Amino acid sequence: MFQENSARGHFAMTSPSQTAVTKTDTPGLGPDSATSKKGKNGALAGRSPGQLMWARFKRDRTGVISAFIVLSFFALGAFAPLISKFYGKDPWTRYGQTTPGLLVNQYPAGPNGGISSDFWFGLEPGLGRDVFMQLLYGIRNTLGLAVAVTIVSVLTAIVLGVAAGYFGGRTDYFIGRLIDLLMAFPNQLFYVAFVPVVTAIFVAPEDEIPFWMRCTILILVLWFLGWMSLARLLRGQVLSLREREFIEAAKISGASPWRIIRRELVPNVMTPILVQTTYMLPNFVTSIAGLSFLGVGLVEPTPDWGRMFANAADYYHNDITYLFFPGVAMVLFIVAFNLLGDSVRDAFDPKRAR
Amino acid sequence: MRRAQAAIVALTAGALALTACSSGAKQGAADDQSRKDAEKMRGQIAFADAAASKGPAAPIPGATPGGTIKVYQRDTYAHLDPAQLYVSDQGSLSTLLFRRLTAFNLDNKGKYNVVGDLATDSGQKSDGGKTWTYKLKDGVKFEDGKPITSTDLRHTFERQFADFITSGPTYVQRWLADSNSTAGYRKLLPGGPYGGKHLPKSVLDTPDDKTIVFHFKKPVGDLPYALALAGYGVVEKAKDTKEKYDKAPVASGPYKIQPGSFKNGKGITLVKNTQWDPNTDISRHQYADKFDIQFSVSYIDSTQRLMADNTDNQTAISFNNQVDAASLQRVANDPKIKARSTSGYQPYVGVMNFNMRRLKDKRIREAIAYAMPIQSVLDAYGTPGGGELAGSYISPTLTGYKNIDPYGKLKNPLGDVAKAKAILKKAGKLGMKLTYAHNTAVEPLKYSVAVADNLKKAGFDVQNKELPSDTYYDIIGKTDNQFDVYPSAWGADWPSALTVLPPVYDGRQIQDGGTNYALYNSPETNKEIDRISQETDPKKAAADWFTLGEKILKDDLPQIPTFYYKQVQLHGSKIGGAVNNNILSAIDPTKLYVKK
Repeated sequence: MFQENSARGHFAMTSPSQTAVTKTDTPGLGPDSATSKKGKNGALAGRSPGQLMWARFKRDRTGVISAFIVLSFFALGAFAPLISKFYGKDPWTRYGQTTPGLLVNQYPAGPNGGISSDFWFGLEPGLGRDVFMQLLYGIRNTLGLAVAVTIVSVLTAIVLGVAAGYFGGRTDYFIGRLIDLLMAFPNQLFYVAFVPVVTAIFVAPEDEIPFWMRCTILILVLWFLGWMSLARLLRGQVLSLREREFIEAAKISGASPWRIIRRELVPNVMTPILVQTTYMLPNFVTSIAGLSFLGVGLVEPTPDWGRMFANAADYYHNDITYLFFPGVAMVLFIVAFNLLGDSVRDAFDPKRAR
Repeated sequence: MRRAQAAIVALTAGALALTACSSGAKQGAADDQSRKDAEKMRGQIAFADAAASKGPAAPIPGATPGGTIKVYQRDTYAHLDPAQLYVSDQGSLSTLLFRRLTAFNLDNKGKYNVVGDLATDSGQKSDGGKTWTYKLKDGVKFEDGKPITSTDLRHTFERQFADFITSGPTYVQRWLADSNSTAGYRKLLPGGPYGGKHLPKSVLDTPDDKTIVFHFKKPVGDLPYALALAGYGVVEKAKDTKEKYDKAPVASGPYKIQPGSFKNGKGITLVKNTQWDPNTDISRHQYADKFDIQFSVSYIDSTQRLMADNTDNQTAISFNNQVDAASLQRVANDPKIKARSTSGYQPYVGVMNFNMRRLKDKRIREAIAYAMPIQSVLDAYGTPGGGELAGSYISPTLTGYKNIDPYGKLKNPLGDVAKAKAILKKAGKLGMKLTYAHNTAVEPLKYSVAVADNLKKAGFDVQNKELPSDTYYDIIGKTDNQFDVYPSAWGADWPSALTVLPPVYDGRQIQDGGTNYALYNSPETNKEIDRISQETDPKKAAADWFTLGEKILKDDLPQIPTFYYKQVQLHGSKIGGAVNNNILSAIDPTKLYVKK
């Protein structure tokens, strides 16, 4: 990326129309065409940092492809019911058990896990549900939860991290110790222990845990133990920012702390927030899948991505196909999201060496 | 009193062999052998006389002595004291180590009978079945060379009343004390024989060194079966160290424990007992020199090793590990592996209990019964070979079994949702809340998806409740449990319904921690149980038990049967004499030899 920039810069130097650009003193930017553009009347017009980032990001092929993959996962998840309608199957019906001949001794009768024009990704051994639909709805549920957890975690981190950095002193001390304390919790174990307690308190012994409560518990626990690293990072950033002149100026001009945080500090830490968010989301996806793998995430009959791995572990000797699709989907998603995170970081901060 | 333990399926971290494409599943050959075996067993089981109890056992064709057999076992033996042995893995071990008054004998033709083991015959009854007399064989000795006398046997039974004996069977003690509860029978001889006290002559009499006489208050028909349980193995009085006997018991069978070889979680070694005289024993052999038993080998591990059949594994076997559910398909389809497998029934019958205190309307219970997808339940335990669909409460291994199907479950094993819905509608209960509870072991988690799905479609508002596996039976055993439907399994201790119907359907036995999980109490059934319990003609008793079971199922429906448990086991290619023993529900350890 960096080399690419300088190469372009070199090329730009030779172009007479761009010579003005080399004189710009915008920090962190190479002398390239992205820094400015000509307005309608031919005069040079400035660009916002967001526009600059977007222009840089568009040039990063890996980033664009990754973004495309990630977005298609979200689209698949979001439109799962629609796809189900067109595909003509749903993730709950036990096709293999109700239609004779699809399963023999629990396993799909057809080769490759029963892949056919009717069942694109084959059938689940045992219960005989459609793997394509299970996977689609599993992705939908997992991503939905992961997005929810990410949003609340990021908001919490912003509020507490920026507050700790800006106010300092006692506030900083207490928030810092709280972060230390929570970081010491193993979150998967915490979740395993937490669910029965909540169940005992809120659910009557003859009732099952309602779906919304399971989701709420999952989001709560992952949020409770997931916001600290970003908060700590923001605290550090804000700590250095608050000594800068523009903050002092704002203070002297009588701005309230809330206004300073909102208008002066948060816009200046947007970069780490965005970059960290793109790292956090795939982490939450794997956490949710991990909990389901352990059997404490979403439960049957709710389709779930992570549980498909747990089931596949039982079946792989006889039906490797069942492991294939969820596995490939998960690897693709996580790798794409992490590459996207790298690209976003590079686009915001091209100076930072890898 | 046995219940099926939830199998713990561990995940192997084994290498994952990826194949370019997987072929589809194949239909294995129909496995009729175990059904034939079961029929043979229930048709012909008999109490043998002195001639049929005389040793030695007929040699196994082709068997050669010598060699070491490696044995893979999942669990460490929790006990070694004969009086504490009850569960199936201990039962298999005890056939090699301890002799009892009677024994189940499986001959080379596959016929079962109850023979005299230490006794000369399976027992002489008099006084209408209230008195049973046993005479000891000549030449029976402990591993230290001391002869086994009636004093040792008196001690064996008297120490069953001691407080430290907690996990063995209690049938004989309860019959002697004429008591139905565990707390009650211990009052007959508090603390056991250790204070110098003994059972009075009117209860247990030993007139000379060779004779033991049991006196019961009520007629007992099943005593020869009960005495063959592992828990009534003989204990040497002079060497009884009470609690410590559990670590170093004195053997009387063809093998003994190599001193100091027992290591928790690791293994135990059995070597030949030179004092055992084959001429006194009709039911055991002594071919292999040594049994090298390894613990902590999971079902998946033992299956993988025995399927591989390389080096050491060729002379390996497992007494009690089964083929894990996911591998059954491979065993059935690979003729080479299939040839090295044995299979048979386990005594367990799986049922779905209906809480009779909550579901008082029989129509609701019927609706649930019709909707129940018993095929899905069975599938979770692995097919082919994991079990067989059940139509009755009484297992095919029991004397008197008949194939019945009053609710059409065998014809429609995936459940008749439409019929269930119609019945529920007629009862005016569409949309009623129904709590279905199950434990979180692998199999229940799988089949419960189908069960809940069917019940939902039949018009119930299903509350699918997961309970922890390790305390599952304690939770559903509470008389005030808040669940409507919950699975359980029950197995007979010997092939007579006496060990099935009274513990499960006697309404007077309802108590916290009891085994009448459906909380079913019918005065009519209770009366009938009392009547048949005292029937001393085994044939008539068997027929009456079965009629009673059928009547409970048809008229009261406290449970709907799901399937009869079966197991498939593997052995190495150099192991000979591997046959399934339906009494042990496992490979018979006494017939094994190493092929040369």
